[in-house]
Amino acid sequence: MTGAPVLVDALGTWCPVPVSLTARAITRVPTGGLVEVWADDPLVAVDLPAWCHRTGHALERMDEEAGRWRALVRRTR
Amino acid sequence: MRAYLDHGADAPLDPRVRAAMLPWLDRTGSPMGLHDPARAAADALEAARDQVARLAAWPPAGVVFTAGATEARSLAVRGALAARGGGRVVASAVEHAATLAACRSAARGSDPPLLVGVDAEGLIDPAALAAALEPETALVCLVHGQPEVGALQDLGALIAIVRDRAPGAVVVADCEETAGVIALDGAAEADLVVLGGRAMGAPAWSGALLVRPGTPLHPLIDGGPEEGGKRGGPHALPGIVALGEAARLAPAEMAARATRMAALRDRLADRVLSVPDVRLNGPPPGPRRLPGHLQASAGWVEAETLVLALAARGVACSPGSACTAGAGKASPVLEAMGLDAPWTHSAVLFTLGPRSTEAEVDHAGGAFADAVAALRRMSPLTPR
Repeated sequence: MTGAPVLVDALGTWCPVPVSLTARAITRVPTGGLVEVWADDPLVAVDLPAWCHRTGHALERMDEEAGRWRALVRRTR
Repeated sequence: MRAYLDHGADAPLDPRVRAAMLPWLDRTGSPMGLHDPARAAADALEAARDQVARLAAWPPAGVVFTAGATEARSLAVRGALAARGGGRVVASAVEHAATLAACRSAARGSDPPLLVGVDAEGLIDPAALAAALEPETALVCLVHGQPEVGALQDLGALIAIVRDRAPGAVVVADCEETAGVIALDGAAEADLVVLGGRAMGAPAWSGALLVRPGTPLHPLIDGGPEEGGKRGGPHALPGIVALGEAARLAPAEMAARATRMAALRDRLADRVLSVPDVRLNGPPPGPRRLPGHLQASAGWVEAETLVLALAARGVACSPGSACTAGAGKASPVLEAMGLDAPWTHSAVLFTLGPRSTEAEVDHAGGAFADAVAALRRMSPLTPR
């Protein structure tokens, strides 16, 4: 049981803030839990996958629509 | 005898709020840190966030702490417009002066904000609001409790008009005067909500902007991930804890506070309005008026002179329009309500707090009558 995703609403902020907020939020979910990230800085499309790769957390999905990105990150450890 | 009836400018701390905040003046530790003192600070920060969120029935993650309501207004207007790349702004003509200043500042180089008219009591005209809105309208500012004449707007009905006519617009609801004082009816329908600490017993330099998740907002103060990246810089933890404590106390107490303040306001109104050629500005006492606000215009008496005369008699109050104080101009709010001189230049504002007393009100009423009579005797403007 991992519960509902913790939301990171980073709309209007610039990288690295969306990734910094994700890093803080991931500590508030249990292993296996999800963080949902909303952002509109295009750099998030690069920074968030890179952060997931570096930390080992799983980027389950990342979609873009009309300049807004929505990502789901699962805590893996 | 002294009477402090200027709670709209600054107000005493609730003693319980003061007790909660004081230890945080001496504690060290940024909520952003990783060590034990930092974790204690983070726990206090998040507890305050939960308390403020609960007061406004808002998601805790959408609470952005600011240094007072003025910053929250500026963040709302300028941050939302910047995130959208600009656009047309519609605001009521009776918004707080800081809101209108932020609108004008944000609109530099483009269309000025379109102001929506009000009726003779200062209530926003729904038909005028509907007429001002277009599908492309970017931002709409609506004040809940008008800080000068005390008019309480029907936020829910007004926001429904915005959603119908301008569904893409960001709605800013200014609840500085109402949060922790009365129920925030309709505010939950807004996208951004301005809160301030002063009216609920916290410092005037504490406040918050409530941000509906999914509302893009650029920070005014750039920094790191503090406050969700929407307000950079160190957290002013004493003020934040104070705001949280005031928000925690308010729900159980605000109905009784409002009833008491309204009774004192009516007692003061009886005395003030018994003076000849004095008129009440704003709605009559009742559900459409803030419980602690009384603004009156005394014909043939200049507002700041009257405030000074009252100060000399031990009564602290304000000219009716703080934004034009010292400029000798008419109050824009009273002009929007259709008033002319001398009423627009002669308004004084009494604002009561939860611990105002009958003795203060009675003293202020007597001082008002005495000061008005004295000034009229020496004024060349007084009709003879």
